[in-house]
Amino acid sequence: MLRRLLSLYGLLFFVFIYAPILLVVVYSFNANTMNMMVWSGFTFDWYRQIFGLPTSITDSTTYVDSSAQLYAAIRTSLTVAFSTSVFATVFGTALALAVARYRFRLAGFYRTLMMVPMIMPDIVLGIALLIFFITIGMNLSILTIIIGQSTFLISYVFVTVSARLAAFDTSVEEASADLGATPMQTFRKVTLPGIAPGILGGWLLAFIISMDDLVITYFVAGTGNTTLPIHIWGMLRRGIKPEINAIATLMLLFTVVIAGVGLYFRSRRTK
Amino acid sequence: MNLARRKVLQLIGLLGAPTAFLLVFFFGPLLIMLVYSFLTPGIYGGVDWVFSHLNYGRILGWADTRYEKFDPVFLSIFLRSLRLAALTVVTSLLVSYPAAFWISRMSPGRRDFAIFLVTLPFFVSLIVRLFAWVLILRPTGFLNQGLMGTGLTSEPIEFLYTDFAVVLGMTYVFIPFMFLPLYGSIEKLDMAQLEASADLGATRIQTFRKVILPATLPGIIGGSIITFIPALGNFIVPSVLGGAKVLMIGNLIEQQFLSARNWPFGSALAMMVMTAVLVLLVVQLRLARRGGA
Repeated sequence: MLRRLLSLYGLLFFVFIYAPILLVVVYSFNANTMNMMVWSGFTFDWYRQIFGLPTSITDSTTYVDSSAQLYAAIRTSLTVAFSTSVFATVFGTALALAVARYRFRLAGFYRTLMMVPMIMPDIVLGIALLIFFITIGMNLSILTIIIGQSTFLISYVFVTVSARLAAFDTSVEEASADLGATPMQTFRKVTLPGIAPGILGGWLLAFIISMDDLVITYFVAGTGNTTLPIHIWGMLRRGIKPEINAIATLMLLFTVVIAGVGLYFRSRRTK
Repeated sequence: MNLARRKVLQLIGLLGAPTAFLLVFFFGPLLIMLVYSFLTPGIYGGVDWVFSHLNYGRILGWADTRYEKFDPVFLSIFLRSLRLAALTVVTSLLVSYPAAFWISRMSPGRRDFAIFLVTLPFFVSLIVRLFAWVLILRPTGFLNQGLMGTGLTSEPIEFLYTDFAVVLGMTYVFIPFMFLPLYGSIEKLDMAQLEASADLGATRIQTFRKVILPATLPGIIGGSIITFIPALGNFIVPSVLGGAKVLMIGNLIEQQFLSARNWPFGSALAMMVMTAVLVLLVVQLRLARRGGA
């Protein structure tokens, strides 16, 4: 009896998690232009509109075509996410290697310290960065977004790579050294391939979080550098249009694919 | 060059650049913010480099003597943020606990997949997930359509822009934060102990209170702290689901920077949030260390 109740509850739990997301996907195919909450038939029009294809949406609803801004936002987001994730991966991996493979007094201190950027509320970091950039006279641009996001994404990579390093058997590295490999050879042929899944996982994680970052970017982007989340936030503030459903669904598809790949690499870590 | 020397150089090579980067671009900004929180706001935005204790005083309600009377409005917003964050912790605990228990009793293969399903939404864009709740909660949304369709209410109920919407939204967003630490400690539960408790005549409720709850307490505390921290300073969820009606400390900080242009006061508010978070982090680390020992 109790067991049945628990199973029923568990199913409700998953409905709670997934129903809202599913709703967005389903209604992105709704043909109703007047009231987007009432289902009136299946259509690809909202997707066609995003891609600039001819649609059957009548002019009575007068949707302002914002495809150009949407494309620009996507371009900015991808540029930022790619630069930030590569940068954070290099620095995060270097720190993880130093802490895991060298004995020095501050190792424990670093481990705790790297937690701080991850738990720092984003609004605090966002305004601190804004004050900082203005005070030192640095113009807000894509560069300030990349710097701002890197400050906390380094920590995410650090944690992911550290976990992989901890699971990685050091005796293999020692064997390599005993067999006469130079430290550089050992690193390139043994350590690096061993922790590669961790590095890749950390990079993907940083990429996804960067693509989704709203608060830090909001404060340090300045005018004219709109990323995708900020573009959508702006659309929400101006009023809800069915088009957002379709954009959201495409984003969903994109993140689920990347997250799937990332989680796959993370699960390989433990095996 | 001897080995020890080479190792030191390697270490500096690995640590140097990232450390410098974080010192300048992470700790530097926080330090400048601390300084700003003790300065006087400039008349046209920006700051005057004159010491002022008023920024912190204003949070408590002391008047900025030039144009205010005593009014603890900021304190009440801070207290509201504390209350909403605490409510979020309680609801996500109540929602996640039975689910974590259920999943921990599955076969290993299904269990891994279930955990994957719980963590997956974390990677879905935050703004998309919140947009979904706007569709559900707004006056013409699905919830109201359902309620009116079944005749439970004739007028649409205002769910959006209420405390309820904000707590619901934060609970939804932070479920993975609560779930994973909880699951970690529930998974370690010793089934033999539960059976022993039942054999010795304890009722189910007694077993839960005396055996299960104490054993899973580390997970409850860990999950609560990790959920409370991002909930307290949150600014996107109250902006999207709370509108102008439900102000949290995060919204207040944003206003000081983007509309009121009182940077020192905004910095003081941010310092307060940061301090609360750092205290909680220290508590969490202490407890985790004790739990591990």
